[in-house]
Amino acid sequence: MEQTQTPAVKAGKQTRGNRPPRQSFFYYLAKQWPFHVMVLPALVFLILFAYLPMGGLVMAFQDFKPWLGLTGSEWVGLDQFRYLFEREDSLQVIWNTLVIAVFKMVLNLLAPFGFAILLNEIRKQLLKRFVQTLVYLPHFLSWVILGGILTDLLSTEGGLVNRILTGVFGMEPIFFLGNGDWFRFTVIVSDVWKEFGFGTVVFLAALAGVNPALYEAAEVDGANRWKQTLHITIPAMLPIAIVVGTLALGNVLNAGFDQIFNLYNPLVYAKGDIIDTFVYRAAILNGEMGFGTAIGLFKSVISFVLVVMSYRMAYKLANYRIF
Amino acid sequence: MIVKKRGFAHTLCMLLIVSMLAACSNSGGGNEPANPGASTNGGTAGTTEENPYKDKYDPPVAISTVWGVDPALTFRDGESIENSVATRWALETLGIEVKSLWSVTDTNNAFVTKVRLAMSSGQQMPDIITVNDQLLAQDLIDSGRFQDAGALFDQYANEKWKAAMSLDPNVWNAYTKDGVRMGIPVLDYAYNNDYLLWIRQDWMDALGLDAPETIADLEEMMEAFRNNNPQGLSPEQVTPLSVGFKSSMNTWMGDPSWVFGAYGTIPSQWNEAEDGSLMYGSVHEGMKEGLLKLKEWRDKGYIPKEAALWDENKTSEPAVAGTAGIIPGPYWMSGWPLLDTEKNVEGAVWKPYPIPTGEDGTAMRHGTHFFKGVTLINKDMAHPEAFFTYQNYLFDNLADPQEGSPFEYGVFEGYDYALDANGNPLYLDDVPGGTITAPLRYFLVRDGARIPDVQFQALMNLADGKEPTTYREKELVSSYGPETALAATVVMEQEEISKKEMFVGPPTSTMKSRMDYLKKIEAQTFNEIIFGEKPAEAFDQFVATWKSSGGDDITSEVNEWYNTIK
Repeated sequence: MEQTQTPAVKAGKQTRGNRPPRQSFFYYLAKQWPFHVMVLPALVFLILFAYLPMGGLVMAFQDFKPWLGLTGSEWVGLDQFRYLFEREDSLQVIWNTLVIAVFKMVLNLLAPFGFAILLNEIRKQLLKRFVQTLVYLPHFLSWVILGGILTDLLSTEGGLVNRILTGVFGMEPIFFLGNGDWFRFTVIVSDVWKEFGFGTVVFLAALAGVNPALYEAAEVDGANRWKQTLHITIPAMLPIAIVVGTLALGNVLNAGFDQIFNLYNPLVYAKGDIIDTFVYRAAILNGEMGFGTAIGLFKSVISFVLVVMSYRMAYKLANYRIF
Repeated sequence: MIVKKRGFAHTLCMLLIVSMLAACSNSGGGNEPANPGASTNGGTAGTTEENPYKDKYDPPVAISTVWGVDPALTFRDGESIENSVATRWALETLGIEVKSLWSVTDTNNAFVTKVRLAMSSGQQMPDIITVNDQLLAQDLIDSGRFQDAGALFDQYANEKWKAAMSLDPNVWNAYTKDGVRMGIPVLDYAYNNDYLLWIRQDWMDALGLDAPETIADLEEMMEAFRNNNPQGLSPEQVTPLSVGFKSSMNTWMGDPSWVFGAYGTIPSQWNEAEDGSLMYGSVHEGMKEGLLKLKEWRDKGYIPKEAALWDENKTSEPAVAGTAGIIPGPYWMSGWPLLDTEKNVEGAVWKPYPIPTGEDGTAMRHGTHFFKGVTLINKDMAHPEAFFTYQNYLFDNLADPQEGSPFEYGVFEGYDYALDANGNPLYLDDVPGGTITAPLRYFLVRDGARIPDVQFQALMNLADGKEPTTYREKELVSSYGPETALAATVVMEQEEISKKEMFVGPPTSTMKSRMDYLKKIEAQTFNEIIFGEKPAEAFDQFVATWKSSGGDDITSEVNEWYNTIK
């Protein structure tokens, strides 16, 4: 203890003038220890439930048998990954996942962005709040329930949507959930409908922080509503949009298990089967934990690379950093 | 100084919270350390006897077990699965002390997960464990911690139990490893899953139609239901035959497997081929005709346009709503879900009819195994014979209780029944303190003891017009649907067409890596053919792909297994 403290004391003595001294770690520890203790529970939690379980990743390289455990199971190297890529449909499944996830990501960024701008223009606070709550509500519904509702709404036999399409527009009924392309469309649109209210709230929060003086100044300069939006509102929202976008990129291989699982059927396997539903059938239902872990690891690695890349890009392009 | 004091206050708060958390986790974990070693107590009981098997043990011997408790299971105040009327009964009547290593409320597969965790962390395994999950059962057997249960069964099981077990000698197959019967199958009632057709009798009467004997008759009937509906429904509103394909072509309600049966195969299961080997039903050539028939029916509006999106429960919706004419399913559907049809359409009557045959008289339906789950016996169990004392008693007295049996009126007095002053039994709301619906679940082996054909024998008796006298007969009359007995006779009439899944062994190595893909292309191809997105030739291509993508390997592995148990 003596030894470790001395450099800190020395360091404190060496600094002069008003400049805050650069102290050693232990100096701060001695001064701020109550705060560190406060962080401790969260840290313990994180280690217990986020870092320790990572040890289970070795399962991805094993033929895991529960009674043999992590230490006793046979090592199979990259066999689990080979299974994944040997399957005739794995490329298709990955492609389906990417298409659905990317569309969802982009639209889930653009829709709330636009909607927040429009909502921000509403003068009546009561109406604004009302609409905001209304579009936020579907976020709380589970896909199990929505799956049932959508199946009925989109049915070709007396579903509301198809009745309107045939009755009002004179179109042929569309088999939304039974045709691959329409299935993707339905999945993406329904997800955006469910989630854009949540994104809107985030963007509205960003807009609430904009200094009203900026708008006043713009008005004095003769800027109309559109110019104000273009030069004040949108730039003010960009940083938060980049944050949201960056965070979303980590989900590029998550196309939404609960949604697809509740809506898909054998007719749309070709265009609607995604990595997660595939894992559910091939790994979870069959008790193949090694295989499931391998795919999980594969997804995490891809997501990690993408997050790092997008984070770099966000820094370069918008000069924005989260950390 | 003030800052410092605030800091202390914060810290104290946090420390308090932390210590509370720690305390919580301590008390949570505290229940468990007491358990290990529980079963070793049993080892002290006398081992010098010539025949260790007794009808009652004195001093008592212990059997340790673990429990997955059905969340719907109720208990009397102060009781739990570890300490219930059934554990007291076992101790008093048989001198057997049931010790619990642990129990868990079995939601989201918690029991299976907990057993797997216990296995992987090397915890003590119970003396007796009953599992339903086929994969877990295989894992437990493979773990090598359980013993040859078949030998013990031969030695200690009583006549009644052996007779019940021999109703279908194949019940052992699922748990036989290298010729050794590693677990005792938990017997269940037969025919629970066997199909028949439920048809709207009132529609048939109004149209003057007879029971459909062939697929052609059935088509005529569907045509009449659709275009000449006695209930005044327009053709678009009627679902003449309510079936769905979402889960599988072979499931527990509303599936079309029997349609393929008319062409000589049952899909998605292993059937015995003519040469005695096992063959996967979905690649049988009869499938093609069946698929085309279903396509024709869909085009004609006989089956739901969106059948690919319909799961089991969805198929029952139009049936209950009164807009469906026919729904395939098991005999018990008269109770649930069809009982509610009357509430929606006055005068709606569902009657059971046999599965129609193809032109050449062929018919098949998927069958029901006589077992559900397995009981495993630990290698280190001190008194395995005690388990047989327990089960023998239940098979003698509970499985088919006659007059004078201790279970004559129900399982436990004061739980599922009560006696009034005159000794007459009271049920349901008349039981003081409310009824406990399933004290059967308190027993060491789920549901105590069941003899596969008892339920159906009782139903046949009732169908013959016998007044209900035994507890079981009364229960069938009071809590099943009005046509259940009649349905049972229909099921029995066609017993020879019932085809059970013949492969019940552990998943083979090629199955593990390939079966999901094969199932996927199977479901995809079949649905696409029925929905007209692919021509009938797609079936031949599917068969070729199936065989070359691992199907042939799986078939030979399955037959290898089949040869070991034949």
